[in-house]
Amino acid sequence: MSSQNFADEEAASIPTVKTKHLRACLLCSLVMSGGEFRARGCPNCEEILQLKHSPDRISACTSVYFDGLISNIDPENSWVAKWQRTANYVRGVYAVRVKGRIPEDVEADLDARGIKYRPRDQTDAD
Amino acid sequence: MSDLEDHTAFDQDDEREHEERDKREEEDDHEQPRRRKYGDDEEDEDDEEDEEDEEEEVRSGKKGKKRIKRRHKRDSAARFLDVEAEVSSDDEGDEDEGDFGNDDFIETNDHIEDDSTRRHHALLDSRRQFDEDEDKSPEQIARDLSQRYRRTAVRYTGDMNEIPQRLLMPSVHDASLWQVRVKPGKEKDIVISLMRKAIEVEHTRPLQILSAFERDSLPGMIYVEARSSQQVMQACIGLVGVYPSRGIHLVPIEEMASLLQIKKQEATVQLHSWVRIRRGKYQGDLAQVVDVDNIEEIGVRFIPRIDLNPRDDGTAGGLDAKKRKKAATGATGALRPPQRLFNFEEVVKVHGRGAVSKRNQVYVFQGDTFKDGFIEKDFKPSALITEDVNPTLDEITHFSRKTDGAVGDSMVDLSIIAEASRKQAVAVLQPGDHVEVFEGEQAGVHGVVEEISQDVVTITPVGMDIEGQKVDLPARSVRKRFKPGDHVKVMAGKNTDETGLVVSVTDNVVTFLSDMTMQEVSVFSKDLREAAEVGASTNIIGDYELHDLVQLDPQTVGVIFKTERDSFRVLDQNGQVRLVRPHQISMRRDSNRAIATDAEGHELRINDNMKEVDGEGRKGRILHIHQSFFAFLHNRDVVENGGVFVARARSLVSLAPKGSLIKLAPGADLSKMNPALVAPTGGMVGSGNMGRGPRDRLVGVDVTVIKGPHKGYNGTVKDTNGAVARVELNTGNKIISIEKAKLHRRLPNGKTEPVEGPGASWGRNNSMGPPSSVPNRTPNPYSATAGAGGRTPGWGGGRTPGWGGGRTPNPYADSRTPAWNASSRTPNPYQTPAWNASSRTPNPYAADGGRTPAWQPSSRTPNPYAANGGATPARNANTGTSSWGGATPGRNTWGSGSGSDGWGGATPASRPDWSSEVWNAPTPASAPTPATAPTPAAYTAPTPALSAFSYGTGGMGLSAPTPGVFPETPGTMNFEELGRVPYSPGEDWILDTQIKPFYNRLKVTVHDTIRAGYLEGAYENRTAVVLTASRAGEGFDQTAYVRFVDDGKGEERSIMMKYLIPFVPDTVDEEAVVIYGQRRGELVKVRQRPDGSDTIEMVVVESVGTNGAAFWECQKDWMCALTR
Repeated sequence: MSSQNFADEEAASIPTVKTKHLRACLLCSLVMSGGEFRARGCPNCEEILQLKHSPDRISACTSVYFDGLISNIDPENSWVAKWQRTANYVRGVYAVRVKGRIPEDVEADLDARGIKYRPRDQTDAD
Repeated sequence: MSDLEDHTAFDQDDEREHEERDKREEEDDHEQPRRRKYGDDEEDEDDEEDEEDEEEEVRSGKKGKKRIKRRHKRDSAARFLDVEAEVSSDDEGDEDEGDFGNDDFIETNDHIEDDSTRRHHALLDSRRQFDEDEDKSPEQIARDLSQRYRRTAVRYTGDMNEIPQRLLMPSVHDASLWQVRVKPGKEKDIVISLMRKAIEVEHTRPLQILSAFERDSLPGMIYVEARSSQQVMQACIGLVGVYPSRGIHLVPIEEMASLLQIKKQEATVQLHSWVRIRRGKYQGDLAQVVDVDNIEEIGVRFIPRIDLNPRDDGTAGGLDAKKRKKAATGATGALRPPQRLFNFEEVVKVHGRGAVSKRNQVYVFQGDTFKDGFIEKDFKPSALITEDVNPTLDEITHFSRKTDGAVGDSMVDLSIIAEASRKQAVAVLQPGDHVEVFEGEQAGVHGVVEEISQDVVTITPVGMDIEGQKVDLPARSVRKRFKPGDHVKVMAGKNTDETGLVVSVTDNVVTFLSDMTMQEVSVFSKDLREAAEVGASTNIIGDYELHDLVQLDPQTVGVIFKTERDSFRVLDQNGQVRLVRPHQISMRRDSNRAIATDAEGHELRINDNMKEVDGEGRKGRILHIHQSFFAFLHNRDVVENGGVFVARARSLVSLAPKGSLIKLAPGADLSKMNPALVAPTGGMVGSGNMGRGPRDRLVGVDVTVIKGPHKGYNGTVKDTNGAVARVELNTGNKIISIEKAKLHRRLPNGKTEPVEGPGASWGRNNSMGPPSSVPNRTPNPYSATAGAGGRTPGWGGGRTPGWGGGRTPNPYADSRTPAWNASSRTPNPYQTPAWNASSRTPNPYAADGGRTPAWQPSSRTPNPYAANGGATPARNANTGTSSWGGATPGRNTWGSGSGSDGWGGATPASRPDWSSEVWNAPTPASAPTPATAPTPAAYTAPTPALSAFSYGTGGMGLSAPTPGVFPETPGTMNFEELGRVPYSPGEDWILDTQIKPFYNRLKVTVHDTIRAGYLEGAYENRTAVVLTASRAGEGFDQTAYVRFVDDGKGEERSIMMKYLIPFVPDTVDEEAVVIYGQRRGELVKVRQRPDGSDTIEMVVVESVGTNGAAFWECQKDWMCALTR
């Protein structure tokens, strides 16, 4: 519930139509420009990915190889967001698929937290 | 514990407040119960998750200190770092409590009082807190925790990651997806625009849609998640490039998930695999992947193309790098340098030592890195073609040249190709193929493919214990099986379409003996298929085909008698066999229209069956004729050169004897005699500009399509084949095939007429050669063949005076003129019969001379203008209106002298009888009809002509119209263009001395009396027999005494002769007398059934008179029937 509050109040920066060099977060599939990631980090995953002001992390944890753009307007209620497992994330533009995996240290970190890592490249089949 | 509960309770209160503000309150309430509906599984999952969370909690409790530190370090983004730090410093051991505080504070920092109370608790008794935690039910802890973590948006939880995807499938409670059409290419923009719009208007009129997405693989559409299409429609208002009007379609619930699961086919690039470079200087070049560590930049290695002949010849050292680079790139635009391995010395020589630097084992030149002679470069995946690379062995060997260093081991690592081909092998399998298993448990088993589904083939083993069962196998572990003796065909590769007999099989390499070359060919079994046919499909290579006549060099042509894989065997006109490749052939020649003369002087054409008169006496069908001298023949029975041989046309005779061209037998078609229609023979050989043989009359004619899809189109006939014509449309330069029945000839005056049928007569003018071609025709075939001959120049000469003199006093001239014009301008209604009628008109008065063209029996082309005689060649030569106009004055002169002196024995009244109703059309002509006696001129004039004319006497036949005639007597006619013209006897034809013996039998018809008012027309159209007649004195009408025979009453009376016309014989075996022509006065029997109203019809007659029996053809209206 309260995350909805969050969603009401916050949204990821929406890339402009002409933005080149869009990148998608490998963990949450949020799509923003590289500069945006650098300036603000990933609003969903910053806690674990630490992208802010870190171009290296950005290039490691985000990818330009993604396809399918989703506008998550009302993630809480959207089936699309649920299916994409972005229902709890901020509103914004997400990718359907992102190619690549997060770096191993992040994966290990997730594992340590008991969070199952689901790659965004739709390779997992369950 | 209690404070915790308080806290939770408060939280809920807090939330409620939020919710009250929340616009989506209802939906949320709705959402909550729905979440519970994932089923038991999900509940379990949730529980599991909770447990894990709990575990984590415990763990973190133990290693708390360590972890919290790390988190502090990392969580630079945390907004309340200070507070948290404060808490930590307060009680390092109780980071959980601290977290709680932190979280609460973040979320509800306006309730500090409450918060501080709780912190107080925490500070007081952290240990008890732990105990309390343990006392709590796991569910409660879980709830608390999940509550807590969900609210920390910055904290990544991945809380839904444990749920299997299948449990996320949409249910009926979810909003629907709606497909919306958008402008292709704008999908992404529109999805983003929707997002922006949603944020912009969220506080005014929030969009009702929940999400929107697009897929690259579904261009031109986006999908919007909403509960109703109305909401979608509203969301799309104001967005450019969205076409809600083209329908907002509901996506069926079962398809929703698939839309998000679409995967782009992406070939993952493997190390050492082959790729091609997509663009730039190296476009299309093969490259090998050497580095795939970074998926955004793939390192590849390929053969450089260094320009060793830079356009800019300035010494490289003196140029700065930029300029040199520019020059280099400029050169690539024009012609890219060939592939060549990097050679330090060469490059230095051309570009200067300074241009190349060496680092370790690597040269750097113009910003590129060269190693082992190859250039190594990073490319974006999008700049590389990774699919369908199909490297050729050639290309790969280039790579291998230096790959293995100086060892000189040229063996290529073909494993990658092998791998690729194996993959391909799966694709080439088909049900019914005989395969064997070459690896895995079932190795050695062979059987027939039953079914293929992706990578699994189901086979029915043959000849094993497990026979009858079906075995599923991975497709890559089977290969096609062939055994020696199989007849196979190559399906792919450079031996494609080769067929042959398998002689040996080694693993997956099959060796077979080619049917075509009789050589052994080894191919992979995957490229083979069992096939019954023998390699016949290679009869075509490029543009050339078996048995084509091809030009090899300016002097040599040849016929392809054998095609090999990429070359031909050609037999040239000298009998030499050459092996040529397609590029050595300059062109294919068309000899379809070529003709030549055989040993007997007959023409021969392609497809004629001929036989050699000398030499080996080979027989064959003519494939081609070259320069009317060489004939290429084909005979399947001849083994040599594929049955093709070359012979001189002059040494061939036809196997099927051609009938004598003129056979005066019933049914003979005299049109064959028409030099215009029959290919000339003698004297023609070798004439360079000789006609291409007879063309269809229609060829070249302007036509209009009157039916079908092309109705209304105009075009020109290019070719005809039976009832079908190929018409080149004026529009679009297109050639269509169309039935002739759908075509109308377009006439110069803008009218049309059918191209076939009666109207066709007109067209023949077109088919006539232009006068210039006449000299070519000189050698009249008749003289050579059927012994006709005899059409002497006298024709032209003799006729001329007849025209000039006798013609003059034609009373019809003036009046007729409009009629002529009318008929000529509107040829349609006048088509054959009409023409005949009108042209006949002047005849009675015009003397025989006027008939001249009609006498030319050989010409079936009754050129109406030609019939006019005096109407000058101009008219003959051209049917165009303009020439017609020019001719008119000629007519006037023609008629001027005649004017009023009353030729008109034949009053207009009599005319309707003469021929068809069309007759009536030009009747204004009839006005001046004061009948007068014909001037003698009319008679005298034709006389010389007649004497000169020698038609029909046995063996004499028709003469060749000598060219000389034309220039000399332009007033006559071009014989080539003459047609038969209806004959109208003179008024006093009955008085002819040759006719006189047939009095009492001579059948006549009373004609034209109604119009003249003669005897009130009472006898019009009645048939009578002339009993007697004698010439009346000058100034009197000639009369004949006749007996009417048609009503049985036998009435006898005298009738003015000008109303009596011959009764044209109309039945077989009827006796008749020839009243005109060389054979005038001869008694004949009609031997061919005359049919049709066409009076110019040629009928076969038999002379039965004293001149001895002879069969010949006579124009119908040259005869007068006799009673028995």
